[in-house]
Amino acid sequence: MTAVTRRPTLPARALLAGVLLLLVGGLVITLAAVLLLPPLVDFLAANTPLVRFAVAALVLLLITIPVAFIVIYMELKVIARMNLRVGPDRVGPFGAAQSVVHGLKVLAKEDFTPFGVDVAVYTLAPVAVFLTTLMTILVVPFAPGLYGQDFNIGLLYVFAIGGLNVVGLMMAGWGSFNKYSLLGALRAAAQAISYEIPLALAVVGVIILAGTMSLNSIVEQQAGTVFDWNLWRQPLGLVIFFIAAIAEANRTPLDMTEADQELVAGFATEYSGMRFGFFFFAEYVNVFVVSCLVTVLFFGGWNAPFDWPFPVAIDLDPAGYEAWLAFLLVAGPIVGTVALAALLRFFVDWMRWPGALLIAFLLVNLLAVGALVGLAFVTFDWVVGLTWMMVKSFAFVFTFVWLRATLPRVRVDQLMGVAWKWLLPAALVNIFVTAAAVVLVWG
Amino acid sequence: MTSPTRPSLDDPALAIPVDRAGVFEPIPMARTERQQEFYSLRDGEMLINLGPQHPSTHGVLRIVLKISGEQVVDLDPVIGYLHRGVEKLCENADYHQAICYTDPLEYLASLFCEWSPVMAFEKLLDVQVPRRAEYIRVLAGELNRVASHTLYVGFFALDLGGITPVLWSYLERDEIVEILAALTGAKLLFNYFRIGGVNGDLNHEFMSRLGDWMSHASRQVEAGTALLNENEILVRRARGIGTLDRDTAMRMAVTGPNLRASGVPWDIRRAHPYSVYPELEFDVPTRSEGDCLARYLLRVDEIKQSLRIIDQCLHQMPDGPIMAKLPRLVRPRPGRAWAAIEGPRGLYGTYAISDGTDQPFRMRIHDPSFVHLQLLSLLVPGNLIADTMAINASLDPVMGGVDR
Repeated sequence: MTAVTRRPTLPARALLAGVLLLLVGGLVITLAAVLLLPPLVDFLAANTPLVRFAVAALVLLLITIPVAFIVIYMELKVIARMNLRVGPDRVGPFGAAQSVVHGLKVLAKEDFTPFGVDVAVYTLAPVAVFLTTLMTILVVPFAPGLYGQDFNIGLLYVFAIGGLNVVGLMMAGWGSFNKYSLLGALRAAAQAISYEIPLALAVVGVIILAGTMSLNSIVEQQAGTVFDWNLWRQPLGLVIFFIAAIAEANRTPLDMTEADQELVAGFATEYSGMRFGFFFFAEYVNVFVVSCLVTVLFFGGWNAPFDWPFPVAIDLDPAGYEAWLAFLLVAGPIVGTVALAALLRFFVDWMRWPGALLIAFLLVNLLAVGALVGLAFVTFDWVVGLTWMMVKSFAFVFTFVWLRATLPRVRVDQLMGVAWKWLLPAALVNIFVTAAAVVLVWG
Repeated sequence: MTSPTRPSLDDPALAIPVDRAGVFEPIPMARTERQQEFYSLRDGEMLINLGPQHPSTHGVLRIVLKISGEQVVDLDPVIGYLHRGVEKLCENADYHQAICYTDPLEYLASLFCEWSPVMAFEKLLDVQVPRRAEYIRVLAGELNRVASHTLYVGFFALDLGGITPVLWSYLERDEIVEILAALTGAKLLFNYFRIGGVNGDLNHEFMSRLGDWMSHASRQVEAGTALLNENEILVRRARGIGTLDRDTAMRMAVTGPNLRASGVPWDIRRAHPYSVYPELEFDVPTRSEGDCLARYLLRVDEIKQSLRIIDQCLHQMPDGPIMAKLPRLVRPRPGRAWAAIEGPRGLYGTYAISDGTDQPFRMRIHDPSFVHLQLLSLLVPGNLIADTMAINASLDPVMGGVDR
């Protein structure tokens, strides 16, 4: 007979560990707060721009996650519809959580390093690609006052950082020890060099008109109705910018770097797991950034397309309601829920009390959230601006996805030909005409 | 019994040295002058393995490309990854059983793979196939041809990077496959033709599905291909690429649409008529350019001709038996027979020798994909890597048929 040893069960051990962790951790945090917080607060108060930058960077880092998920979901669902498929429909309503599950799957995969790779370069490549994409968002103005940083050389910064993107791709191609990756990376380099030029030259017209490279100022100058947007003053610039932006975001029909029918997956061939995930994350965030840039430069950024009445100043004085406010906040939801549940119970045949209460509770909450959002929308200008900005940007994201579902891929020499023979001369003509117009007509 | 004196191909002593610079690259043993030349690299050249696991090699084809930058200098197609020994299997089965082994040869056109051995066996046995059976064969065969060609259209666009057309072409193929399933009971490997006839008569489900499909088939084909025919990117990528001239095509024994796209109006249905094709009206479309675009457009034209044939078959379908009277176990007199038919990819032929038993003594299958694959080394060098996929897709090889 073996002696029965009494060991704590697994949940008990987990609980014990948790309690210990909380005790020790709480103690440490309290001590740290007491000792470090006052000087830290003083330091932060003395360096407000630094704090603003840190918060902006954190928010931008976090914003990429939902943005990439939405773009991936659009990619899955829109292309599926155009392909006469249903697309993902298992996880979440209409498969909306599919990209979240994709992200978790990629996280859970083995972090595999193939034989022969240059480990440092191979490991850092996804980071480099993702960071450059992230850094580009910093200057995108989402709404009045809602931006990471407002440089007076904002546009230059975007192109400079966007050009760095190719370094990451080259690192991936070189470090992977794979000929497909190498070919993809060399294509990426050639493509980036070719398309950076028309991309940058296409917006020179906008810069001439705006007189500044700050994206905020460019947007502010397009305020008014749809006819005040740069779209009408720079149609050729818009076309060139959009075509070059497709190449810049590595999207079909100009996705030479990862042409799956030719180079398997291009520079990402040897990557798997979260490293591969970072590449894809970067790609989709890149699509969003490029869409934002098109919106900001040519489609008025956060400006509404017509004389939009919002935001309006609503003069609310909560203190004036006194006890009624407290009653509204405390009793309002309960009364509303019960009243709605009663209505459901007596007018819907199959409804019983528990179900009716649940549904009424959800409806009342929805109503409250909707009312709050509506209030915010009509009151705060950055909510209105953000809404317009997102609507326009995602319209362009949709266009990118649409293009991918529709067009075959161009050949690599045709790609170069378009850039050097058509886009570059057209961009130069655009600059010349814009400059002449500014000097002769407005000057 | 192997003779110990016969030299083995794997003998390292027989290997010809190869001049190669790469440290990590496994150096294959070169056994011929051609191999030695191919695997020796000049300055700036690189070997790259396309397949056997590659998205656009239509199965398990492996192509070793010798590239200089993006340009393909030379290539070496390596086949045999799908070899199943079908011919040998057929020689160890009786005549009826052999038919089902030939089915999976070309999984996109199974009926044509059955048709030529069945015809060869009928020649050996000297059987007269009832006219109704012949009409049903033509009807089913042309349906299968449309299915194969629509899929070709989709995969051609897919290999050029368009992801939507292939799913649109599956729309057509799915309907045809359902129609054929109603007739034959299977969707992919039909095993429908029998020596002396077919397995089952036309039924109600088949006729109603076929009627539904025929009412919109030509419109659907037009709609699907209109997206591609006028697509600037597709046309620019396919025009003038992989041009196969008339003389080379005939010298390389090219058959089928690939030959007709080079301007030779040779169609076995007209040149050596079999079955009931002499009674049917259809054109043999040809094109003179011989490039990828011509090969693609020719298939679109052929779909329309096939629809014409299907229509006529339905109108002229005679009554009568669908099987000739044959014993369960057939023993043809000793002799040899060759039967060739026009499949969606070209000439499908079977050469069968009977020694008087119930099994074919020898059976050899000619498959057009194997012949067309040889064109790659003629057409691809000098083009870009991307064109390799375009040319390969336009030649439409099916690896099941190549490796047999």
